[in-house]
Amino acid sequence: MTVDIDKTDGPADTPPTRPEAIKAIPVRHYGRYVSAVIALAALGAIVYAFSQGRINWGAIPDYFFNDRILSGVGKTLLLTVLCMLIGVVGGILLAVMRLSKNPVTSSVAWFYIWFFRGTPVLVQLIVWFNLGLVFEYINLGPIYKDEWSQFMTPFLTALLGLGLNEAAYMAEICRAGLLSVDEGQTEASHALGMSHSKTLRRIVIPQAMRVIVPPTGNEVINMLKTTSLVSVVQYSELLRVAQDIGQTSGAPAEMLFLAAAWYLVLTSVFSVGQYYLERYYARGSSRSLPSTPFQKIKANLLSLSNRSSAGGTA
Amino acid sequence: MTAMVKAEGVHKSFGLVEVLKGIDLEVKQGEVFCLIGPSGSGKSTFLRCINHLEKINAGRLYVDGELVGYRQKGDKLYELKDSEVALKRRDIGMVFQRFNLFPHMTALENVMEAPIQVKGVNKGQARDRARELLERVGLADKAGNYPSQLSGGQQQRVAIARALAMDPKLMLFDEPTSALDPELVGDVLDVMRDLAESGMTMVVVTHEMGFAREVGDSLVFMDEGVVVESGDPREVLTNPQHERTRSFLSKVL
Repeated sequence: MTVDIDKTDGPADTPPTRPEAIKAIPVRHYGRYVSAVIALAALGAIVYAFSQGRINWGAIPDYFFNDRILSGVGKTLLLTVLCMLIGVVGGILLAVMRLSKNPVTSSVAWFYIWFFRGTPVLVQLIVWFNLGLVFEYINLGPIYKDEWSQFMTPFLTALLGLGLNEAAYMAEICRAGLLSVDEGQTEASHALGMSHSKTLRRIVIPQAMRVIVPPTGNEVINMLKTTSLVSVVQYSELLRVAQDIGQTSGAPAEMLFLAAAWYLVLTSVFSVGQYYLERYYARGSSRSLPSTPFQKIKANLLSLSNRSSAGGTA
Repeated sequence: MTAMVKAEGVHKSFGLVEVLKGIDLEVKQGEVFCLIGPSGSGKSTFLRCINHLEKINAGRLYVDGELVGYRQKGDKLYELKDSEVALKRRDIGMVFQRFNLFPHMTALENVMEAPIQVKGVNKGQARDRARELLERVGLADKAGNYPSQLSGGQQQRVAIARALAMDPKLMLFDEPTSALDPELVGDVLDVMRDLAESGMTMVVVTHEMGFAREVGDSLVFMDEGVVVESGDPREVLTNPQHERTRSFLSKVL
């Protein structure tokens, strides 16, 4: 190993101003090879066990792009987007209420968050579904009047149940974002004669977004998976459809794996989107942007080839 | 000459700590009024009381003849609504130690924001005026830059332009050069000097004794919440009457 260092014997051809760049043999990480082997073996064992199980894997590709499954995927996505919309709008509203000087609005917001965060969302869904026990009719005067059971469709139950629950969580995220904006910003805005609401809308919220966006991306992915709960209120989203098909086609377990695969695909797509969204909001605040996965892979490959070429010359 | 700012026995406490213990002073129209003193003497707090960023606990404070933050009917005081306070703040520009520019807006947008949002000036007019003001503070070429791309001195000059965009009748400066690198202080003081020459009424909390001596019309030395000494800056700075003033000046000059 000392051979490499001895190569500095010939200083004649290097300019005297700068010493030769260090070329040392890197430390060998044998632990990495060992752990890689163990991990691969474990993975192999799991895959083998599943392939030997009494599961008809062929059924999954057969149904993967089935029309009903695709409509279930569509409904899951629709529900995710709409519920997050309710969550974000409601969350900002609640956060502003919670931070307001008005003791009534801030207590109302506190109570809302306390209630919706404090009860399981599954219970909330079932309660919404059964609220007909309390309200027999829904009567909005001349606009709308119907029996509760007619009004509260599975879709509306799912939307309200998940959306209102999400608003409570988003409220806390938004509150953290609003609090992260320097007080001097509000002062400067007030000193210019801007009102509370204009200060909030024009100055504080745009700056709070940088803090709010990353955890919101997390919430979206969470919401995507949580929509599977609404199968209990008869809404035919992905999991419900997969279970229905499973019962009629005689491949119930296979359809669950299929649903799991679809959820993975969807969350992966959202994760990529979240990554680039965060990158976008990091602009201006950090001097150099984190590299994209492509750039990372490229850099890794380059350094790998550099290392092997360096090793080759040694 | 009417008084632009008039304080009569102004008291201010934060909890149990009394920060201002009866301030009496008068700022005349068109004058540059300098407030000096050690940190914790209450000079910044007093400045913030003038545009009601802090509420005073006792005494009376008037800006341009009108009570700050309250309306008096008979011998009863009524608190002003937020919207009424905002209306009065339009006429009082403020420049902060930490600049407090809006980081998500360019220099030009920072200057345009308040006239558009508060006065309802149309965008084109606001832009023209903002360019004019940025030129006045020597930053015409930085209009499109975000605050993070500007030096401290440049940011502070944008902040001055932003305050001027509302055409205030009174400008408050809260240690405008204290957060700046020494070599950037001069540019900001030049802008303030120009502003003083244009006849603007200015209340300046500062540690720049040179500026106070050269530009100031009146000077007040504050310590522990009271006015210790006041008068012509050249006189007070060269020939202080009180022991406390003398010891303070010997440390900063």
